[in-house]
Amino acid sequence: MVKSAPVVKSVLRKIASILLLLLAVLVLNFVLIYAAPGDPVEALVGEMGGATPELIAELRATYGLDRPLWQQIGVYLGNVVQGDLGHSLYYDQPVTTLIASRIGPTLLLITTALFSAIIVGTILGVFSAQRRNSTLSHFVTVLSLAGFSAPVFWIGIMLILLLSVSFPIFPISGMTSSDGTTSTLGYAMDVAHHLVLPALTLGLIYLAFYSRLARTSMIEVLEADYIRTARAKGLSRRSVVYKHALRNAILPIVTFAGLQFGQVISGAVLVETVFAWPGLGTLAFDSILRRDTPTLLGILFFSSLMVVVMNLLTDLLYRRIDPRIKTS
Amino acid sequence: MFTIFSANQRRLLPLIVAAFAASATLPAGTAFAEPKQGGSLTSFSTGYRTLNPGVQSGAATGAPGSQIFAGLVTVEKGYEIAPYLAKSWSVSDDQLTVTFDLVEDARFHDGVAITGEDVKFSLETVKANHPFGRSMFGSVESIDVPEPHKVVLNLSQPVPGLMLSLQPLLMPIMPKHIYDDGQDMKKHPRNMEDVVGSGPFKVEENIPAERLTLVRNEDFFIADRPYLDRIAYPIVKDPLTRVLMLEKGEIAYAPFSGIRPNDAKRLENVDGVNMTTDGYDAIGYIHYLELNLRDKPFSDRNVREALAHAIDTDFLSKVIFGGRTVPGTGPLHTGNLFYSADTPHYDADLDKAASMLDEAGYPKGENGERFSFTLDIPSWAPQAHVPMAEYIQAQMAKLDIKVELRRAPDFGTWVKRISSWDYEATMNGSFNYPDPVIGMHRHFDCDNIKNVIWSNTQGYCDPEMDKMLDAAAIETDFEARKKIYADIQAKAQQDLAMIYMPQDFSATVYQDGIGNLPDSPFGGLAPLTNVYLED
Repeated sequence: MVKSAPVVKSVLRKIASILLLLLAVLVLNFVLIYAAPGDPVEALVGEMGGATPELIAELRATYGLDRPLWQQIGVYLGNVVQGDLGHSLYYDQPVTTLIASRIGPTLLLITTALFSAIIVGTILGVFSAQRRNSTLSHFVTVLSLAGFSAPVFWIGIMLILLLSVSFPIFPISGMTSSDGTTSTLGYAMDVAHHLVLPALTLGLIYLAFYSRLARTSMIEVLEADYIRTARAKGLSRRSVVYKHALRNAILPIVTFAGLQFGQVISGAVLVETVFAWPGLGTLAFDSILRRDTPTLLGILFFSSLMVVVMNLLTDLLYRRIDPRIKTS
Repeated sequence: MFTIFSANQRRLLPLIVAAFAASATLPAGTAFAEPKQGGSLTSFSTGYRTLNPGVQSGAATGAPGSQIFAGLVTVEKGYEIAPYLAKSWSVSDDQLTVTFDLVEDARFHDGVAITGEDVKFSLETVKANHPFGRSMFGSVESIDVPEPHKVVLNLSQPVPGLMLSLQPLLMPIMPKHIYDDGQDMKKHPRNMEDVVGSGPFKVEENIPAERLTLVRNEDFFIADRPYLDRIAYPIVKDPLTRVLMLEKGEIAYAPFSGIRPNDAKRLENVDGVNMTTDGYDAIGYIHYLELNLRDKPFSDRNVREALAHAIDTDFLSKVIFGGRTVPGTGPLHTGNLFYSADTPHYDADLDKAASMLDEAGYPKGENGERFSFTLDIPSWAPQAHVPMAEYIQAQMAKLDIKVELRRAPDFGTWVKRISSWDYEATMNGSFNYPDPVIGMHRHFDCDNIKNVIWSNTQGYCDPEMDKMLDAAAIETDFEARKKIYADIQAKAQQDLAMIYMPQDFSATVYQDGIGNLPDSPFGGLAPLTNVYLED
């Protein structure tokens, strides 16, 4: 009990700073969007195909856009504290409902892409680190370079051309087919079939990153003194690599996985748009174009929340994996 | 079954060439096979905020909306008006009273009978809530329902384009028992959830992020129609993804496909995939260079004429758009009923343009420029506007005019700039829709200089033009009206209120094996009641 007190204290301090951070994010986002030219009503009216000045004034009043900025922020913050992220101007639905309906597909896409990339990337990295000048090692280097430099939408389109058009194995877009399958298994298979290409596109980028990270981290660790000691003790190669080296080399991977998982939405925007994946990424993209301010603010807030929560979790996980952090 | 039209009625309703037996039995399309029932057609959508075309204009709502809702009439090939929910109609001698007799056994999708009260409610709703409500039905003073299946419109002045506005796209028949609950119609939840329509297809599934699925209305008032069992509209926003889906056949029917002329070439080479630019006459999508006429140098007509001589729209349409568009000659689309080609034309002539600018007081200055301006490019039609703007920039450079291109990052930003008149020049475009009163008058009327997008934002005002517009709005004799509109088009082009660009490259892409595709000038925005799939 006495021992855990500093941990509790540091966690509490973290939570307090997180709350402050979120408040700053909310205010900053609001002001930034407010400062951009044009307002939601203009976009809405444009999309309707025109309107009368009276209708525009009426809509502005309905959405509270005729009030001064500080009042708008005040009302908004008050609502957020009560768990109300506002009402989407475009969909005319509560933003929380909208986000809740879109988060599932995004999580499915991100977790599939991220976890496959971490596993495959780590394996590739570990193998190539052991034989630094092997073909595999060079392949990992080239792959990570390509994965980093190629724009994600380009990879997406190329994969569609290859695996949907030239060799029609996977559907081009969407999350489900429109043939109205009703069985649970049929639905799951249908979603999985649609998931492959977007997950592969996103996964390739993560893979580039993790294979590189694992490789570098592993090379560094393999040169450490304790590895030499372990080898000198006469431990098997397997034991040295997997028990002693990998456990230490995996720390940066955990950190980055946590950070990246927090950034789900930013990662998903382009892939979701190319593949018409009905997740938060497309919602964010559309909301920007439509000036659907409440939805956009809601997504940004939710996104920040994810980042800080994942950072906190990573931090806690880190303490478990690396005993040194507990004492420091 | 149908009333015979008197001479007066024909004068008021010049678009009616004949009353059709029923729109459903029209031989349409190019199919040879016997139409058969069944099958699923996959189209697409770029996303919509409402399924009710009574409160929202545009193709995204209109394409499925015209399937979900029926109208009083349909608009067939050659702008012929055909009976739909109205089995017949007659017009009083003074042209101020129009009486409709409704089909008697028509029902909404929830089984409730469709009556004159629903028609009255729908027209009042559209008048109050649709962006064109006032221009379409502003002269409808009152509506009587003397019998359950009879509706009488009382007009304050003749409305020559009235019948065109009574189709489902612009005046869908909505269920009064669902909507008349005091809620704001523009935001009514039933526009998206549990939509109860009156048309040939019912909403089966509406997942705004994923897809809309419509299924056959088994209880439709036209016997044995529609042919299709279902129409699916997967949401596909990315234009490149869409082209690939069209190429692979994942989308079978794509009106307003949004493809570029380059894509068209590519798609035409794919077996089983066809492309047509038919079906866009009524919407009449035109593009133009809009100049802010309030300030120098564009307040000077001679400067505008110099620009017109420098911008070769023939070259634009032939070279930049691959000959797939035609140059605009005025404010009306070539497919419009009132189109006139007899307007002033400004030959491509850079020397003349340069000397006109010299005379207008804009010689080449010490910095090597005559003047400079910023040209805004909206975000909503980059495939058309970006090449046009880049071409204009290059041509202006030849005249020593520096043009800075400013691409709007999003719709709202551009709308704000233009509707607050805070711009020098912008690429722009709009729909004719198709009666000029709806789609054209708004750009020229002195009363319509407003802080509203697609009003008279450039600030053009001419008393003579106003007089002609007012006259055309109520002229019921077709030929006389056509004459006035010919003068209006000539005047618009003479005054260079706008500099017209090539018309839009609007194309429908469709696969082999689809019969009876709509041949209405409204194309894919017309009901798909007769469309069927061949074996």
